[in-house]
Amino acid sequence: MRRLVLGLVLTTALGGARVGVEAQSQSGAIQPTPRLADGKPDLTGVYQASNRRGRDWDAQVPGDAPGQPARATQPSAGVNIAQRDPIPFRPEAQQRAQDILNRRSVDDPAAHCVPQASPRMTPVSLFPMEFVHTPKKLVILYEYFWSFRSIPIGAAHADDADPSFVGDSVARWDGNTLVVDVTNFKAGGWLGGGLVHSDALHLVERYTRVDRDQMNYEVLIDDPKVLTKPFTQRNTLMLREGTRLREYSCLENNMDPKLYEKLLVDPSTFIRKPK
Amino acid sequence: MRRIVQLAATLILAGIAPAAAHHSFGVYFDAEKPVTLTGVVTKVDWRNPHTHLYLDVKDASGKVVNWTLEGYPPNVLSRTGWKKDVTVKVGDTISVFGWRARDGAPMAHLREATLADGKRLFFGPPAGTGEGGPVAGR
Repeated sequence: MRRLVLGLVLTTALGGARVGVEAQSQSGAIQPTPRLADGKPDLTGVYQASNRRGRDWDAQVPGDAPGQPARATQPSAGVNIAQRDPIPFRPEAQQRAQDILNRRSVDDPAAHCVPQASPRMTPVSLFPMEFVHTPKKLVILYEYFWSFRSIPIGAAHADDADPSFVGDSVARWDGNTLVVDVTNFKAGGWLGGGLVHSDALHLVERYTRVDRDQMNYEVLIDDPKVLTKPFTQRNTLMLREGTRLREYSCLENNMDPKLYEKLLVDPSTFIRKPK
Repeated sequence: MRRIVQLAATLILAGIAPAAAHHSFGVYFDAEKPVTLTGVVTKVDWRNPHTHLYLDVKDASGKVVNWTLEGYPPNVLSRTGWKKDVTVKVGDTISVFGWRARDGAPMAHLREATLADGKRLFFGPPAGTGEGGPVAGR
């Protein structure tokens, strides 16, 4: 509990500048950031979205009461650990967010196993991500939806790419931070919090491996068709050396489309009722 | 209750924003209908995007009903203490805690299982996962 309080105090004290991270005591001394041959930080590794350092996978375990996690495992092993600024919705987008809430996300494209943009994929702590990094390229492999991004470093955006679910990414260095610019999205992806992006979505991601075990992820989300101004989302990624990616074939036995088709005949069975 | 309040406070303070892992809990399952069952495993369907356990459970009249219990994908279970064909096998008697389907079918979102040896493991995420979360101001 002391670690949790420390993390929360840090978060508050820094004005939300970074996600609260547990004290170092759990995994020993901080090791330096690995470097590539060109001297830049090497982002290579398997990571989990988590606030807890250490080699082992971070997961909730049952506590005393049925269904409730043990207190020590509550803070950092949720489904999604993102910390973000309030979403500055345009009025129509705000109404859509309310509709999404009322309809309990029945229209979520993820239910059809469609990969989503990185602000949604990156904070999901149930699935690992693997970074493969060379001086000219960063490849991010996501177990979630078994998808990937191949990101050239120092290149321009592709001029012949069709809009896609995860967008077109290019990277450049800003000191020790790899900055990834992402554009050219298909409209209609969900970013969480009721935010449905348009084809004007523009992301500026910042990956900073602050030491061997911890990488900070910060993304500026801009979408002038649905937002009044850009906003920022952050989470930490922790190195999990004992973890490997496994196949996540989401379409293998996805029962949702058939079930939802049946349920949507009468949505009153599940939509939220005004209190 | 105190723990639930603490968790809620933690989530608010840390700005944690639950999002769907694959699909919404609340479209088909009802957080107001918790259920605890004990029965015999008849099938383990270790497939994506959700693992399913099938459990024969005797109701109050002695009639056996086969329940379908939905949980995490195999990868998540494999990383959290489950092993295919070992942790739970056909014929095992287990107890489970989860939340029932809205339509009253013998189906539940399975949160936690208690194995024959008393070991307790989570099998799925908490109620409410992925169904939208607080929207106003977010």
